[in-house]
Amino acid sequence: MTSQAVRKTLKEVKPILSLNRDEARRRVLNLYKTWYRQLPYIVQTYDIPVSVDKCKKKLREEFTKYSESNDIRLVDMLVIKGQMELKEVVNVWKQKGHIMAYFKDTVEPKPKDFLSKFLNGKD
Amino acid sequence: MLLRPILSKLVRNRPLNSPLIQNASRVFSTEVEKLEETRPTVRKPNPVARGQLADFGKYVAECMPKYIQKIQITAGDELELLIAPEGVVPVLQFLKDHHNAQFTNLSDIAGMDVPARPYRFEIIYNLLSVRFNSRIRVKTYTDELTPIESCNDVHKAANWYEREIWDMYGVFFSNHPDLRRILTDYGFEGHPFRKDFPLSGYVEVRYDDEKKRVVVEPLELAQEFRKFELSAPWEQFPNFRNANPASEEVPTDKK
Amino acid sequence: MLRLTVSRALNGAKSSPTCLSVASRYQSDQKKPDKIEVFIDDKPVLVEPGTTVLQAAAMVGVEIPRFCYHERLAVAGNCRMCLVEVEKSPKPVAACAMPVMKGWRVKTDSEMTRKAREGIMEFLLVNHPLDCPICDQGGECDLQDQSMAFGSDRSRFTDIDFSGKRAVEDKDIGPLVKTIMTRCIHCTRCIRFASEVAGINDLGTTGRGNDMQVGTYIEKLFMSELSGNIIDLCPVGALTSKPYSFTARPWEIRKVDSIDVLDAVGSNIIVSTRTGEVMRIVPRVNEEINEEWLADKSRFAYDGLKRQRLVTPMLRDNNGDLNPVDWEAALITVAKVVKHAGNSIGAIAGGFADAEALIALKDLLNRLGSEHLCTERTFPLDGSGTDLRSSYLLNNKIAAVEEADLVLLVGTNPRFEAPLLNARLRKAWVHNETDVALIGPQVDLTYHYEHLGDDPNVLRKINEGDHEFADKLKRAKKPLIIIGAELLERKDGGALLSTVQNLSTKLNSNEDWKVLNVLHKVASQVAALDIGYNPGIDKIKSADLKVLYLLGADGDHINKEDLPKDCFVIYQGHHGDRGAAIADAVLPGAAYTEKQATYVNTEGRAQQTLVAVSPPGRAREDWKIIRALSEIVGAKLPYDNLNQIRDRLDEIAPHLTRYGNAESANYFKQAAELSKKTESAIDCKPIDVKIKELQDYYMTDSISRASPTMAKCVQAVLKQKQSACN
Repeated sequence: MTSQAVRKTLKEVKPILSLNRDEARRRVLNLYKTWYRQLPYIVQTYDIPVSVDKCKKKLREEFTKYSESNDIRLVDMLVIKGQMELKEVVNVWKQKGHIMAYFKDTVEPKPKDFLSKFLNGKD
Repeated sequence: MLLRPILSKLVRNRPLNSPLIQNASRVFSTEVEKLEETRPTVRKPNPVARGQLADFGKYVAECMPKYIQKIQITAGDELELLIAPEGVVPVLQFLKDHHNAQFTNLSDIAGMDVPARPYRFEIIYNLLSVRFNSRIRVKTYTDELTPIESCNDVHKAANWYEREIWDMYGVFFSNHPDLRRILTDYGFEGHPFRKDFPLSGYVEVRYDDEKKRVVVEPLELAQEFRKFELSAPWEQFPNFRNANPASEEVPTDKK
Repeated sequence: MLRLTVSRALNGAKSSPTCLSVASRYQSDQKKPDKIEVFIDDKPVLVEPGTTVLQAAAMVGVEIPRFCYHERLAVAGNCRMCLVEVEKSPKPVAACAMPVMKGWRVKTDSEMTRKAREGIMEFLLVNHPLDCPICDQGGECDLQDQSMAFGSDRSRFTDIDFSGKRAVEDKDIGPLVKTIMTRCIHCTRCIRFASEVAGINDLGTTGRGNDMQVGTYIEKLFMSELSGNIIDLCPVGALTSKPYSFTARPWEIRKVDSIDVLDAVGSNIIVSTRTGEVMRIVPRVNEEINEEWLADKSRFAYDGLKRQRLVTPMLRDNNGDLNPVDWEAALITVAKVVKHAGNSIGAIAGGFADAEALIALKDLLNRLGSEHLCTERTFPLDGSGTDLRSSYLLNNKIAAVEEADLVLLVGTNPRFEAPLLNARLRKAWVHNETDVALIGPQVDLTYHYEHLGDDPNVLRKINEGDHEFADKLKRAKKPLIIIGAELLERKDGGALLSTVQNLSTKLNSNEDWKVLNVLHKVASQVAALDIGYNPGIDKIKSADLKVLYLLGADGDHINKEDLPKDCFVIYQGHHGDRGAAIADAVLPGAAYTEKQATYVNTEGRAQQTLVAVSPPGRAREDWKIIRALSEIVGAKLPYDNLNQIRDRLDEIAPHLTRYGNAESANYFKQAAELSKKTESAIDCKPIDVKIKELQDYYMTDSISRASPTMAKCVQAVLKQKQSACN
């Protein structure tokens, strides 16, 4: 069992984009910066009822959601998806609703404690 | 030289007799007739064509021993090449450009997800040789994070097919000129053809009259999800259990 | 009688092969002859002599199609579907009836076998109507499946201008089983079930050949508490369920494994649901409890789950009317009253209460400083009382009843209190020569028994060796005494129990064989006693309570008059029955099909129900209601989900969470010793049981009282009893 696990960690894998951790980190930062610079234009073109500051906070939140990801390939994959997303936004392929979906402003929070769950009849 | 005979020799095995003689032979020589598949609903295999397919498979395996891992024939007469993921471009290039193959038409690329496998995704290329009226299937494998070389340079048709697989399974194709979503909505998360993606999805969308836009919300099923019992009652019977195998391997000389 | 023929076959004609297959299971103590080798499709298999071809084939995984053969019934061999070829035999052999001979080579997939099957199938289908699209059996029909697998792929049936398909008049055999006799293929499974298992010799055949009909000779109700099982047995759509007819198809229903709670046996069931509604209940095989049978009340009372339900919390206003309110208001009102009451709060648990709700309620009341926790059903507290489990369990387990050679029933009518236990008793009586004796009112148990009268002093006499039956008991190798819980509710219950305990310790020679067995009537009792509830409500009546919490207590044991005038009654349960009628606040709970809950049957076997449908309206799972109330009262219980409350159960009584396991009790001797201290004496009041006849059986609890099907059954039985041909 242990030998299997060791072999698995040492398995040679084909890189997606980055060859080492630094390169992956650079890509993430690049993507973050590009998004960051685009935010004012996004707010303007889509005419969304959110301030740029709030968008920045959201951007940070979306990135830190994956802060636990350590696998270089996983980071690369997320960067690729982030780039695609950015392209969809900048080219105005998305619509207002798609942008606002990040903010989940219509979603009611689920009850957390036993009593409110009980009164709402939701588990 | 290998495929051409399929066309030239593809004549009916039995000479055309007059109906009377045919009937007579049926009455008197039942033993001989029995060997032939007579059930009208069962597709009759063509042993000649099958042999030729097997020969062609062996030939390809000899030409590219590095990439081809297994040759098999499924459903009686469909040739399949099982290749390593690195071999996608060379093998497709070979099949396209070899004078006796000329599989110039990429009719489809399909994906398959078997989560239990170490490489959970199978990528299946369906090729057609218009010149020889013959089809071949090339299969390879990958997992969520291993990219596959795009074959867009070999077959232009691969562009959208690979986008579709990227969208539905999340398999990344390196060197693809324009890899982006093709079927799902902008902002959609997840890859719907993966087996771990629920049939109902995670979110539902509706038009919100107050906000004057479409909103995305977590799924709440108001109605019971309809589910069917699909086990066949005759699975226990020997004819079902001992049905023909799905595929037969063609032996190659590989060591 | 059936028993005589079988016993004659056992003693005299040992060579009769059809009888041997039935009896072979019970001959384990005889010397086993050597095994013989046979070949099934060239696969060798070693079997005991007397094994049929069909059983031998099953051992190597070859299923031979069959219609009339059934493992738990005698072999009939009349459908001929199981014909197989045996090498060197000129004609095919019926696999279900033919014992294998040494060296036989059986071919189950040869040309001859297939042709024989095709032929039989064609004969069956000649007279079988083509009404599968409107047949309730469609989709789970043996005939459909097997004609697909073994029938011919084309028809030779040319008689399209209506001239000769057989048509048979439908019979009316009661409100549970619908008969469409044209579909019958004469497998006689229902007849054999009725006479062998149910012990009702009402079904039979009339006519011969093409005119053969299965029926009741004269129009008559099929008066059995196990009648629903012939629906499962019927391989075609001739016998179908009347309440289920035309309501659902088998491929679109969801099946949830669950446990029946309408009696204390804890039969395993499958609850079929569609669109959030229970469509039907069918038995699930469990060899240790119900084999594959199910009693009618458990099977058909499910429509009671849709009627008379409490769907919203309610509070009684000044005019004495119950008004619907929301949970918040109800809980706050109840909590205020509970807080005010301090420790003068009591609780009564009814027959459907699950272990989770019981433990939650006990924890809540204990936190409030009260110990007034009772079950509806009384149990004697003299002697060891309920401290030792051995004094209130069916210690010897249900399956082992078959092995007994002498059974003494005291103050119980197992036929209606636990129909599946009675089916076991009958099985033992038929196949194992078990003798049965009964102290109590004379009732029809579907088998013969020695009636020792209904005087409780007979028990004392037997204990003192002063009765002729005492010798019999002493001579028996595996004696069994089953005492009804209802009997122990008498004033002299303690004395009766102590007599039986003493008697059984005298008889107990074998460690694994337990003579003393108590048969309970309600599903919650054993769990409640295990958790530490006090049996009986005398304590509640004497205590000056300000609040009384009824947890599904519908048994008509307590009235308004028994309580102080200002006592606030809270009822928590699923049906608007007797308990809700006297309540000041009603909290709607979930029925057994709507919650994942633990029940312990009369053997002490913990089993759990699973959620098949969600509770109706604003009803909630029972333990959650108590948990929510505890938070508002200010005595928050430390569990938020099912796992946590099950951990708590595990703390109190670990066997409650070992599902499927029957935890045996011990300390029989000590219990008997303690019971000697019992001071009360047996009085002379004759022993009585509540349920004596079939019409009393159907409606006994809040679910079955709400069920229209059960009401129809009572009507039908009463009508039948009045008619001349009874």
